[in-house]
Amino acid sequence: MLHPVPGSTGAAPPLLSLEDFTVAFAQGAGRTRVVHGIDLTLQRGEALGIVGESGCGKSVTWLAALRLLGKRAVTTGRVLLNGRDLSGFSERELADVRGGRIGLIFQDPTSCLNPILRIGTQIGEALRLHRGLTGKAAEREALRLLDRVGIADAPRRLRQHAHELSGGMNQRVMIAIALAGEPDVLVADEPTTALDATIQAQILDLIRDIRRDTGMGLVLISHDLGVIADLCDRVAVMYAGRVVETAATQDLLGSPRHPYTRGLLAALPSLEGPRVRLTPVGGTVPSPDAMPPGCAFAPRCAYAEAHCGNGIPVLQPAGTGHLSACRRLDALMGEWQRQAAREAGRHDPVVQDLDWPNRDRQRELSA
Amino acid sequence: MTGFILRRLAQLIPVLLIASFAIWAMIFAVPGGPVGMMVGENATPEEIAAATRKLGLDRPIPVQYFNWLTHAVTGDFGQSLHSRDPVTKLIGERLPATLQLALVSILVALVIGIPVAITGAVKEGSWVDRLLNGWNALALGVPTFWLGILLILLFSVELRWLPSASRYVPLWEDPNQALRSLILPGLTLGLYVSGILARFLKASLVSEARADYVRTARAKGVSERQIVGHHIMQNALLPFITIVGLMVANFIGGAVVTEAVFTYPGLGRLLIQAISTRDYPLIQGCIVVILVIYMAISLIVDILYAVIDPRIEYR
Amino acid sequence: MTPLLNVRDLACRYRVTGKRGETHWLHAVDGVNFTLDAGRTLGVVGESGCGKSTTAKLVLGLQPASRGRITFAGEPVSATRDSHWRAMRRRMQMVHQDPLAALDRRLTVGEQVIEPLIIHGLKGGPQTPRERALALFDAVGLRAAMFERYPHELSGGQRQRVVLARALVLDPELVVCDEPISALDVSVAAQVINLLQDLQGRFGMAYLFISHDLKVVRQIADEVAVMYLGRIVEQGAPDDLFHTPAHPYTEALVSAIPTVGQRDRKRIVLAGDPPNPVDRPAGCAFHPRCPRATAICRSEVPPLRPVAEGRLAACHLVPAVSARSAAA
Ligand SMILES: Nc1ncnc2c1ncn2[C@@H]1O[C@H](COP(=O)(O)OP(=O)(O)O)[C@@H](O)[C@H]1O
Ligand code: SF4
Ligand code: SF4
Ligand SMILES: [Mg+2]
Repeated sequence: MLHPVPGSTGAAPPLLSLEDFTVAFAQGAGRTRVVHGIDLTLQRGEALGIVGESGCGKSVTWLAALRLLGKRAVTTGRVLLNGRDLSGFSERELADVRGGRIGLIFQDPTSCLNPILRIGTQIGEALRLHRGLTGKAAEREALRLLDRVGIADAPRRLRQHAHELSGGMNQRVMIAIALAGEPDVLVADEPTTALDATIQAQILDLIRDIRRDTGMGLVLISHDLGVIADLCDRVAVMYAGRVVETAATQDLLGSPRHPYTRGLLAALPSLEGPRVRLTPVGGTVPSPDAMPPGCAFAPRCAYAEAHCGNGIPVLQPAGTGHLSACRRLDALMGEWQRQAAREAGRHDPVVQDLDWPNRDRQRELSA
Repeated sequence: MTGFILRRLAQLIPVLLIASFAIWAMIFAVPGGPVGMMVGENATPEEIAAATRKLGLDRPIPVQYFNWLTHAVTGDFGQSLHSRDPVTKLIGERLPATLQLALVSILVALVIGIPVAITGAVKEGSWVDRLLNGWNALALGVPTFWLGILLILLFSVELRWLPSASRYVPLWEDPNQALRSLILPGLTLGLYVSGILARFLKASLVSEARADYVRTARAKGVSERQIVGHHIMQNALLPFITIVGLMVANFIGGAVVTEAVFTYPGLGRLLIQAISTRDYPLIQGCIVVILVIYMAISLIVDILYAVIDPRIEYR
Repeated sequence: MTPLLNVRDLACRYRVTGKRGETHWLHAVDGVNFTLDAGRTLGVVGESGCGKSTTAKLVLGLQPASRGRITFAGEPVSATRDSHWRAMRRRMQMVHQDPLAALDRRLTVGEQVIEPLIIHGLKGGPQTPRERALALFDAVGLRAAMFERYPHELSGGQRQRVVLARALVLDPELVVCDEPISALDVSVAAQVINLLQDLQGRFGMAYLFISHDLKVVRQIADEVAVMYLGRIVEQGAPDDLFHTPAHPYTEALVSAIPTVGQRDRKRIVLAGDPPNPVDRPAGCAFHPRCPRATAICRSEVPPLRPVAEGRLAACHLVPAVSARSAAA
């Protein structure tokens, strides 16, 4: 089930790709599938955003691809790095890939660092494993890395422990550790979710900066479309263990072609434009052991029809480099286009301007 | 660091004072009190009066306690009522034997317990894990006297490799002989404690293995062996130190059964003998010594903890 | 008209022990003033550790202030737990970030919504406690069937609805919400935001709404206060304040928010972390990170003063209200 890679000429193989990749967790005697066959590609130097609500399988996909979930997680399908399938790799070969070809950073940077080892030791470990550096050479390089990620007073920081640094600084240390192996891709799983706004801005800036310098690819997992829009060239929207829409970032945000993506956008409050009532997506993400038949989004979808329950919708072209997995795609695209035309010039095409609750009127009266 | 140790020591003083008072007051719990103990039940009033004076019991209570305490601090707990030997001498003979046995036992427990815990944690949920869990349950479940007798029957009576009754031979005088008499009681005690240690260490290894920093280590390509040995183990050792300290402290006064089975001259048996003959000065001496060792070990544990864990500040 | 809530020069400090055992004072809240009218919403934004949650606890009388005065409906709020305090607590309720922690795992959610009625001995009125609780279940959008469930049997969004129902069952005049939707997913957060607005429209209580998320605050608040290191640095109507921030900190905070709409917007990235409130910088506490700081900022504390119609700011560079161009 391979789809044409948006924007690729087909010459060089993509840097990283998942093909019909599934993940299941052993549960008692049986297994619960949480990722149901996804196809994703990342070109060299590209930044791919993965967005979706929690429990949609965003993290599990990438952790399982690198076999970081332990034995309870069972995967099928292929994970290709420069055309070589990682699923066939031995533990030893895979260890070289982790941190060497693919760096990872996570959500809560302080708990991600070993509490009793010095920062320097933890960076040094990656330098020894992937670059063979030890002693003075490793220390010099560790200092350079700390400097690169914008940590002042690096010699002192090397001797400190995670609890002595702020969350933002620890995330910088995590990035330094990831950079130590000079990877081709950085997989960042909610890297700024636990951080304050001004610190989040610093970290996003840092990642952008490093990518400009090194051409490193990026897989950015986030529930925050704003963060994704900030850094990514392309976005894949995940819902209940499947990719339901993928497109270039501007394209996806400007003209979303899947009801779930549209729902996510309409549910977001904004700082700009008129203040309008939010349009939430009703209900919640289904749990993996109670998946609805057919389209998993159907119970929450405002556009669902009876036939949405028959069979799982597959990704199909919805524009240039734009794929969407919705059974009603053709009908809805027409509808959305007409709606956009109607509202053109008035408002943001996505957000529907509903009646603001009557309290404003009450206020006018009381004023 | 020095300040930290001094403060910890200062915190122990009130505990010691309260405990020492309780230990001293114990003597009044005997029927007839200390005087009755000294002169017997059929004593004349004159004999009683003389004994009361001799023991200083005619003086005010605080003075009596203070006298006892000043002597105790210099290591003088008086004479054993039974053998008339100084209590200090009796304890002094037994203490090295006890420390020696505690050392061997804890080594046995660590040598068995740590690999069992690590293997169990690494292979969690597999048949190996279940087997080791069974082994731990066995180590904990078999009564010590039973195991002791079994070992004597096997190694002393059947195979005649080792002596059945253990003597105290100082390790530094004749290591070979000392070990021969320590190995069976050491195994008996160590095996039991290995079960406790293995269970505890495995539990903390398993919970550390789920920590986020372990995922980071994996994500940077550290091998599984190094993750367990370097990252998980060091963090799991922190709580483990406390348990090991507790177990060593337990060996000091609590190895009574094993000492009895092997007729080993340890402190535990001395205490039991003292209790059965109501030899109160000796009981007091034993308890004070055990208490002090207990506190010393807990102080050492605290210091180790503070040295290893950078999150603890020396306050 | 007297405001429902009036906070004057509120301060709270904590004693903390330093590395060598020495005592420091951490000024969590340091001279905060604001008022909140009945039925209105004041949003408080700021980064973690700026004193938002401490302000919430002080307002509710959950913890004593070290300075200042709080009046609620004309009566002073104190942290002494007497009958007066309990009577007042009935009229002000709190909603936290983590609903699971706020609920008792051993009781059904229905019992927990009834509980405040029983604690405060409210029997009068036409409804039985159960009827009243069920009416609130309906108001927060929970089905009556959920009444007998336990907290762990509900989703995060449903739990937060239960917490809201419990807060509203006593018909409070003020609800203090401390990051009430931060733990929720985008779509569920939107449901709860709408619900909060609908409930206010229906029952008319005031919200003190604390959040680190500017977009959520803009969505819900009538007035916004921006806090930095224990003080309010800017205050005003949400749209004005977020669209034309006067204070350099607000400006940086707004520009730090990644938005879906504008991609290549110029962003002000502040250097460093917010300083530790234990050693608060002299003068304007923001000066070490402020891109515009001048000499005076290092020595003199800028007062919070009117800088435009309905707008307050604490910055030496923003002229006071007499200069008409301030809001431009
Ligand atoms: N260790 C695990 N065992 C069983 N199920 C898990 C485990 N980790 C995650 N899951 C389940 O896998 C699904 C996807 O999780 P995740 O990838 O963390 O979602 P996201 O990153 O999109 O929030 C969820 O339903 C989650 O409950
Ligand atoms: S397939 Fe049907 S239910 Fe699914 S997203 Fe499309 S319209 Fe909605
Ligand atoms: S007073 Fe000075 S330092 Fe403070 S915000 Fe204004 S310009 Fe910046
Ligand atoms: Mg996740």
